[in-house]
Amino acid sequence: MSDPILRAEGLTKVYDGGYRTVALEDVTLEIPRGSLTCIMGPSGHGKSTLLHLLGGLDRPTSGRVYLDGEDLTAASPRRLAGIRSRRLGFVFQFFNLLPMLTALENVQTAMLLAGVPRREQEARARELLRLVGLEDKLHAKPNQLSGGQRQRVAIARALANDPDLLLMDEPTGNLDSRSEEDLLEQVRAVHARGKTVVIVTHSDTVAALAERTVTIRDGRVVPG
Amino acid sequence: MSYWKLVWKNLTRRRSRFVFTLSAIAVGIASVVTLLSLGTGLEAEIRKQADVLGANLVVTPRGWCAYEQISVLTGESLPEAIPSETVRAIERIGGLEAVPYLTQRAVLHNQPVPLVGILPERMRAFKNWRVARGDYRLDGSHVVVGSGISDRFRLAVGDTVRIRGQEFAVSGILEQVGNRDDLAVYMDLAVAQRLYGAGDKVSFVAVRVDDIGRTDDYIAAIQSAADVDVVSDKQLLRSVLAIVGSVGNALQLIAAVAVLAACFGITNTMMTAIYERRREIGILGALGAGRGTVFSVFVGESAVYGLLGGIAGVVAGFAFSYFAAPYIGQNEFTAFVGSEQSVSVFDLGITIQALVFAVLVASLSGVYPALRAARLSPVEAIRYE
Ligand SMILES: Nc1ncnc2c1ncn2[C@@H]1O[C@H](COP(=O)(O)OP(=O)(O)OP(=O)(O)O)[C@@H](O)[C@H]1O
Ligand SMILES: [Mg+2]
Repeated sequence: MSDPILRAEGLTKVYDGGYRTVALEDVTLEIPRGSLTCIMGPSGHGKSTLLHLLGGLDRPTSGRVYLDGEDLTAASPRRLAGIRSRRLGFVFQFFNLLPMLTALENVQTAMLLAGVPRREQEARARELLRLVGLEDKLHAKPNQLSGGQRQRVAIARALANDPDLLLMDEPTGNLDSRSEEDLLEQVRAVHARGKTVVIVTHSDTVAALAERTVTIRDGRVVPG
Repeated sequence: MSYWKLVWKNLTRRRSRFVFTLSAIAVGIASVVTLLSLGTGLEAEIRKQADVLGANLVVTPRGWCAYEQISVLTGESLPEAIPSETVRAIERIGGLEAVPYLTQRAVLHNQPVPLVGILPERMRAFKNWRVARGDYRLDGSHVVVGSGISDRFRLAVGDTVRIRGQEFAVSGILEQVGNRDDLAVYMDLAVAQRLYGAGDKVSFVAVRVDDIGRTDDYIAAIQSAADVDVVSDKQLLRSVLAIVGSVGNALQLIAAVAVLAACFGITNTMMTAIYERRREIGILGALGAGRGTVFSVFVGESAVYGLLGGIAGVVAGFAFSYFAAPYIGQNEFTAFVGSEQSVSVFDLGITIQALVFAVLVASLSGVYPALRAARLSPVEAIRYE
């Protein structure tokens, strides 16, 4: 664990909207480069909160997150947007795709935001969708896809700008075991290509895949 | 994928809302275009009419208000009221040329047309008329018509017209002069006075002075010689422009209200869209869209509303001006709009102005919603179902 890609130090997140919730308390952890890490824990105990903080989607109440040594908690919103666009890929649990765009366009949009010229977008998007086994669904809108297919489009999109780090929040949460298998196959393939993957999950099948498991309980990392 | 495609896909996802918002903008811009095209058309026309009045001063009956005086320009037939001894008194003043005339209405093919009783030779010299076809002959059985009348009623030299039950032959047709004079039938003054039972009275006396610098002196001289009012062509022009201006103000108010309503329509549509799309905005944020990008995409949507609504509005506005102009022409204030070309049916300048205005106003209406969208944090948007 000499050169972690991601390092969190003393992360605390307090939600104070009328009534105070400590969602995360003094979390310190490292994500080794090229690893496949699972974050597990009971519902409502801070897993999503942690993932959002690790990806620079949200700012902690205190503590720091370093991506390759750069302090994300001190970065400007503009800098963060750039990092999200070029270095990170997100897959969320339920709602991932822009509903008015086709699968192909959803993948292209990620490239558009990263400034990839239009000419290059389409070929790459087709290739990515082929990798996740959706070459025959390029022009389908999200509401014409199954839940598993949508998650695969989301993975293709998360990989659009060849990120170093893939962050997934319960990507198989609402899939049957067959679809879960398919999806995990994709994740394994991505990981095999050298990407660092962090997955929040309740599923033991997913956890079995992981090299490391971090358990969160009551906003804290459970040692062991 | 391009930003424009993203904007377009977002715009058109709710067809009916898209159409309603566009219609509101189109109505607003159409009213602006109507205002501009009628406004410029009218004012140019009024100036032209006043220019070719050919007189510096017009003598009207005593005590006429501005409204009545304007009829000098519009050709409304008001009661003839200046007796011949008054005309002679004015003619005796040196240094000016005075030409009396009587304005009445005749009916050709069931349509009212102005009929003017004139002293043939003096009026021709005064107005510098030229004859296009036939002879310039006005007497008990001959009249002369303006070119517009000849076109409109397909009158040729030698045709007969019936005026107040009496037949007159058209002896000649005047060359086009480009104002109301084209749209009248000219009859010998004495014949017209007898036909219309006007005695020895006339409606107006047109006066041209030798020395324009002393116009005020002439006005004083005329008023001391006879019990009449005198207005200058400049005063007339000012009165007419003031009245047309007030019509214009009403139009402006309507246009302003329509545009304001369209603006609220855009703001409302965008606020609703942003509320519905909170999570999509979060997705865009997670994909790396910065605040500037989110802001631009939403302002872009508003701007496209402006552009499309503007185009529809320009077309509708010009169509409306085109069809409405003839009816507005029936109004006595705007009766100058006699010739068809007086209202601009299509004007590149107005088109560009209207489109720029539409895009600008629409973009401004979208600024507040777009700021709200840009302020959404990616997590806030993703978190809740
Ligand atoms: N925006 C917010 N405002 C207030 N409280 C919040 C907010 N987001 C999360 N919380 C609270 O923080 C705690 C942790 O939430 P989080 O979403 O991280 O849980 P989780 O472990 O991902 O749960 P699940 O497994 O159900 O997704 C919860 O008690 C939740 O109610
Ligand atoms: Mg969660």
